[in-house]
Amino acid sequence: MATTTAAISIASGDISDNNFSVSNTATLTKAGTDTGITKTTGLSRVETSATTNIVLFDMGESTGVGGVGAITRGKLFIQNLNDRGDGTKYVELLLGTVVIGRLYGGDWAFFPLDGGAGNDIEITPSSTTDTTLEYIMFYE
Amino acid sequence: MATTTATCTLSSPDILSQAISVSSTMTLIKDNTAATGLEQLNYHRALIPTGTQFDLIPESAALNTNPANYVYIINKNTDVTDYAVISIKDEVIGSLYGGDWMFIPWSNSVTETEDAQSGQGNDTSIEITATTHDCVIEYALFHSGETLLTADDA
Repeated sequence: MATTTAAISIASGDISDNNFSVSNTATLTKAGTDTGITKTTGLSRVETSATTNIVLFDMGESTGVGGVGAITRGKLFIQNLNDRGDGTKYVELLLGTVVIGRLYGGDWAFFPLDGGAGNDIEITPSSTTDTTLEYIMFYE
Repeated sequence: MATTTATCTLSSPDILSQAISVSSTMTLIKDNTAATGLEQLNYHRALIPTGTQFDLIPESAALNTNPANYVYIINKNTDVTDYAVISIKDEVIGSLYGGDWMFIPWSNSVTETEDAQSGQGNDTSIEITATTHDCVIEYALFHSGETLLTADDA
């Protein structure tokens, strides 16, 4: 097994009357066990100028990521590497057809995935400006 | 405006033949601005009873003026078999086991298909279902401001 950790730190000196700070570290394990996740896509980079819906991870595919089998559960980190600019350009992050939220330039997200048909991870850039994304999936 | 940063660091010495470390810091900024930070924070701790789907963060027209919201959720249970399923519009995103956290953007695109009284229906609320055992959940919503739209009961 492998040992992989994901740490988050959120901090603000002025979003409330007192400083706000949250830090936590999770160890990435297989579902319901202490056994570390052993598979990963590695860090990948994609570029696109499309403004159409793009399937980043087809979770229902029998061949799955890299042809190694369907993903049953995973953890996905994804980041929009573009400059933020004036804040009008972003990438919509979708779960199938359901919009989760917007990744503006410099934004990242990290979340668990349960996989399965219909729960594809998709993106829709808002602009034809080249968009560069990096992602890494840890999965069972 | 406020300045709030979120940093994610992923590291493993042995999931690949070479150690990996990925780290990124973002500043939480309003939609349609270059650098104006989100100004408001809702932070909660809740006990989620097992077996029922709840709206953890209900979609809200009151904070819908800005589609750049960010959500942090952590399962504070310590038993790794305890988990809570996170979904949106009844589509399962994934499961947070004891100690797991997630951080996502959230558009809160009000669809108004959920009944305001019963809470039933498909909308963009962040939903949660505790499985196996009750789960202690902490969550934060970073947003640009909430304007109350409806008067309270007279």
